Order: sequence, then C-alpha cells, then structure tokens
Amino acid sequence: MKLAQADNVQKLILSEDIYNGVAKILRELTANTGAKTVVFCESNGYPVTHVGDTKGMDLQAISALAANNFSATAKMASMFGEGSGFKYVFLEGHDTNIYISDVGFNFILLVIFDASIALGMIRIFTKKAIGSLSELLASAKEDEQKSSQFLDLEFKTLLSEELDRSLKL
Amino acid sequence: MFVNHALQEINFKIVYYGPGLSGKTSNLEYIYTKLDPTMRSDLVTLNTREERTLYFDFLQLELGRIKGKKPRFNLYTVPGQAYYQFSRKIILRGVDGVVFVADSQQRRMGENLDSLLDLEKNLIEMGSSLQQLPWVIQYNKRDLPHIESIAAMQKKLNFFGTQYHEAVATKGGAVINTLKAIINEVVSKMTVLVD
Repeated sequence: MKLAQADNVQKLILSEDIYNGVAKILRELTANTGAKTVVFCESNGYPVTHVGDTKGMDLQAISALAANNFSATAKMASMFGEGSGFKYVFLEGHDTNIYISDVGFNFILLVIFDASIALGMIRIFTKKAIGSLSELLASAKEDEQKSSQFLDLEFKTLLSEELDRSLKL
Repeated sequence: MFVNHALQEINFKIVYYGPGLSGKTSNLEYIYTKLDPTMRSDLVTLNTREERTLYFDFLQLELGRIKGKKPRFNLYTVPGQAYYQFSRKIILRGVDGVVFVADSQQRRMGENLDSLLDLEKNLIEMGSSLQQLPWVIQYNKRDLPHIESIAAMQKKLNFFGTQYHEAVATKGGAVINTLKAIINEVVSKMTVLVD
C-alpha cells in the first residue's frame, strides 16, 4: 500500500499481497463471530473487499454511506475535543446491526451481523481483527512506479474513446 | 484516486459543487436515467423533507476495461445551502475533480461567487486549490429568463480560465459533455503526474 501526495493529488494504492492478507483476516473475523457480512472500505467509500452474504446489498452505496457517516462522526468527535475521532459507530436495528470501526491508514471496517449476536463478541473479535489489519497495512510497501505505470498517454486516449462510445446518448 | 491491484480497479472521486438549487442533483439524475444500468450504480440521495439535498447524492459510473484496468468514477453532490459547510468539507475529502454548477439567473450571481469562494477555501484547507485541482464550470439553467450573459459569468466566476459548458441540466443539455470533460481533465492530471 502506498499513500503518496504528489502535486496535491492523493493516490492510495493497494497491492495484491495486501489485498489477500486483508481478505484472510476478514474470513477469520466472519468465522469467529458469525457475522453476516464484513466489508473493508477505503475511507472515501470505495469498497475494497468483503466476505459473507451480499445478496440484495448495493455494496458501493453502503460503503459510500458508511464512510461519509463515519467522517461526520469524526467531525463531531473533534467538536468534543476527541481529536483522534470516535473508535466506532454502532447502528442497532430490529434484525440487523452494523458496527463501523476505524482501521487507520485511510480504511474503515463494516461488520454487519444478526441482532441476536452479542455486541460484546463482535467488539472483541473486531478489535483483534483491526490489530491484525493495522499490522499488515503498516508493513505494506509498494513500488509506486509499478503501481501506477498503466496511467500513461495510451490509457488516457483509450479512456477518452471509451467515454465517447459509452456515453453516446 | 484509489487503485486496487487485486481487482484491477481504479477509482476516482468527482464532486458536483455549487450554490443551493443550482442543479447539481439534476445532473446526477439525468446521468442515472440515461445510462445503461450495467454501467452505473443506484442513485443514492439523502434529502430533507423539502426534497433538498441534506448530505450528498451518490452515483457510481463504471466503464469497460482499459489496459486491463476497470475505471470507476464515483460522483457526489454536496448540499449547497450555506449552513451545511461541514458536510461539504467531508464530501470533498479525497476529491480528484470538481464540477462547479453555477446558476445562470442574474439574481443568483452573488451566491455563485460565495459558493466558489467556499470551495476554494475548503480546498486550501485540504492542501489543494482551484489552480491545482482539475475542475470545470457548468453554467446551468440557460433556458430560463433573466439570465446573465456568458461573458459576464466568465468575468465574475472563471478567473482561472477553466473549461466551461452551457447547460440545461433538467433536460440533459450538456450534462454528459460536462461529465466527459471532468473525467478527461482528471485522467489528464494523473497522466501528467506519471509521465
């Protein structure tokens, strides 16, 4: 993973190795808790990977809503002098609960689980998973040149052609 | 920009900014209704009871693979009213490009300028600025009476000489061209960085 600030453009790049490592931690979290779905998102709302049942879920929309919801609570936290933000947001429903946590490194974690599952168990195993994710992301190194080398003039030209083709109304 | 090498995805964030009722949501609604459902997500809108944008609208546009990568463009609007300033700052986080939707009616010129200055102030707080970020202006509502001339709007708002489009977003006029323009601007900026 690489977070580069070049000429004020933020680039966040996730390698395949890190992706696979994240997926493994998510599978363990799901197995340990019985959670219905676990989603690992970039903090701007891009869903990176998920484990579990996503039938009937619009993951793009859910990730965007969760990420912006979490950012709003971070702003509220700063108004209460909680500089580093709230650690998690818990949404309690009749049948389904959602536990959203800050992973650090510009990522958040969504655990979607049945209301019959004890919140305490979700909290314990999520905390453990976040520890593993943090370790993994901190150790990540990525060759930035390799990561973004496809963004060349040919890519730009092909994208422009694809836009003309796709958006011809 | 977020690149996921495992899934071969490249994500960009584009924000539609501008004063309240300038037509930001109308742009996304038109894109949503006209595009093939396989190319776009559902349109998410978070509205007040008066059907005004409370937090944001969201729509994802996905193109076919290019050089093995799948480009995705995440389109957001911000709430235009002055008192939603914190929401706008949150939505602007990680932005790759902005469409500034200006209302062409003569009586809205002050609000257009206030919104543009608000955008610049928020970008500067994020370590960016209108001189550095890819952005385009859309002069919307060109079909209404009592509108300002393009020359006058250019003079009042386009002080960095960025690309502009004349639009009637409710009927779709120039909505797609504006979208294409900002996508090309965003990708050009990334290309320059790599080259």
